[in-house]
Amino acid sequence: MSKRILVVDDQPDLRLLIRLSLRQLGEVSQAGSAEQALAMIARELPDLLILDIWLGHGKSGIDLCRELRADPATRGLCIVLLSANGQQSDIDAGLAAGADDYVVKPFSPEGLVAAATRLLAR
Amino acid sequence: MSSTLDESQRLRVLLDLNILDTAKEERFDRITRMAARLFDVPMAFVSLVDADRLWFKSQVGYPFSEAPSDASFCTHAIRQDGMMVVCDALEDPRFAGSRYVTGFPQVRFYAGLPIAANGAYVGTFCLVGNAPREFSEEDRALLRDFAAMVANEVAAGALDACQSRVHRSDASLRALLEHLPDSVLLIDDGGAVVSANPAAERLFRRDAASLCGQPAATLLGIDAAQLATRGAEPLRIEVTLCAECGSLPVEAALSALEIDGRPHVVASVRDASAHRAALEAERAAEQRRRVYFRTATHELRTPMASILGFSELLLKRDYDAATARELLDIVHKQATRLVLLINQMLDMARIEAGGPDEEQRAAVALPELLSAALATTLTPERAADVVVAGADPALPRVRANAVRLQQALSNLLSNALRFSRPGTPVVVALTPAMREGRPGALLEVRDAGIGMTPEQSAHMFDAFYRANERPDMEGNGLGLTLVRDILALHDARVEVASRSGAGTTVSVWMPAAWDTA
Repeated sequence: MSKRILVVDDQPDLRLLIRLSLRQLGEVSQAGSAEQALAMIARELPDLLILDIWLGHGKSGIDLCRELRADPATRGLCIVLLSANGQQSDIDAGLAAGADDYVVKPFSPEGLVAAATRLLAR
Repeated sequence: MSSTLDESQRLRVLLDLNILDTAKEERFDRITRMAARLFDVPMAFVSLVDADRLWFKSQVGYPFSEAPSDASFCTHAIRQDGMMVVCDALEDPRFAGSRYVTGFPQVRFYAGLPIAANGAYVGTFCLVGNAPREFSEEDRALLRDFAAMVANEVAAGALDACQSRVHRSDASLRALLEHLPDSVLLIDDGGAVVSANPAAERLFRRDAASLCGQPAATLLGIDAAQLATRGAEPLRIEVTLCAECGSLPVEAALSALEIDGRPHVVASVRDASAHRAALEAERAAEQRRRVYFRTATHELRTPMASILGFSELLLKRDYDAATARELLDIVHKQATRLVLLINQMLDMARIEAGGPDEEQRAAVALPELLSAALATTLTPERAADVVVAGADPALPRVRANAVRLQQALSNLLSNALRFSRPGTPVVVALTPAMREGRPGALLEVRDAGIGMTPEQSAHMFDAFYRANERPDMEGNGLGLTLVRDILALHDARVEVASRSGAGTTVSVWMPAAWDTA
């Protein structure tokens, strides 16, 4: 069965990049904000969430990550946080919010594929 | 007595008498005169034994007020208790070879008694003759009386010196307290103010008379128990003064001490508002730097993510020509964005760093500068949208860095164009205008575009702030920050009037250059 991956990023170019990178792993859909992502997750639970932390004016990726971990319906979701801030304290904060992995921008598409493959195999 | 103090202590006592090298005084001269007459000797001295000289507070029959102390009779006399009598110096092996015996003033007879002051022998009262003589018991008793009179006069002088010293140190202490910038309150064991210095009068906004008797804890806005501190170290506290004293933030140091056997507290109080404001400003600046750095990291890495990611996909995967072209377009667009961003960040850093290029100024004609800015900013399709209103020949030149000011104008113009629809005019007006009584030039850039809410206007000059997230209006949020930084260095006044949906007017006033052409 094909895996469902949801990409959440406020930058259209980045959404396209991640969609193209992960297309070989399954069906990739996209959201431009945390609010839109929540609505999509409520409709259909994905297997993997690629979630940017900086989402413009709305809720941040960290907020969304915590929210999903607190809800029993979405608690088991695999989440990869994406961020341009890559200091150890940023990474620690992301993992503390409940992320399974933390990828720093800019990233290699092949590296992202490897991380996603690892998580989807669990 | 002489053995209990060493020579340096003895000299200290002598020095503290403040008698050496003072003027002659009749009260001593009267005694030496009487003694010389009564004993029928040519010379009599009140002789003080200094480190390497004898200094005579009073002398009869000797022309100098001092003499070398080595091999002197007086130096010997003060090393013993009681009277020293030398009836014939030539017969005495201690003095037979002394310069005072073999040379001037040819001493043969000497009788002297040490003068005690403050526990030390500071000198002698002595009689000196040029011929040998006997010294009877009666003579000795009489000399003792004379010496006692001299000692009394020395002691009286010492008391005067001591009192004037106390008086002097009291006066200097008072001057110190009066000129101290810190406020000082003396507080008694009941917690009431006993005295206050002028700085305290200013800080607490009342005179010393009305400060006295006030409960110190209330003035300082602290708990009375804190005044009861009895540590060896002063208690340092940061408090806010009572409302009548202006609710100032202060730093106070409370030290315990005893006066006349009763516990007191000295409170030294310093206005801390300037210090705190400086700390606050430093913290705010630090916070701004942190936010700027974090945001800059995000803004730089986001286009880098596209450039690195898409180029790697293009290298490693196969795409049809149309898709490959589309991805390459994105790489190019993001690289262009990155270059612009880096240039603007570097410009900001250069402006902040200063240096000859940044600081050079010339009298600049704004119409010429505006034409140059339009030439670099306007695209052919928007060329008709910009209207330059009237050319006033009275428009003064402004003192400016032409390169930077043109950059600021370009950024203002491109902002106005970006946020207004093609076909709606952007009006640029240049007029002479007075501000704060100074002549100057007013530049207005008026658009009929989407405008801003008051909240958006408040942040429009912040680094990386974007009022609008619509992709077709994308900027990097540094254009107006640069405008702000540049205008700040030109003594310009910037005003923004904007209404959401109605458009924005940015007004920039700059003072006229001194050498207006």
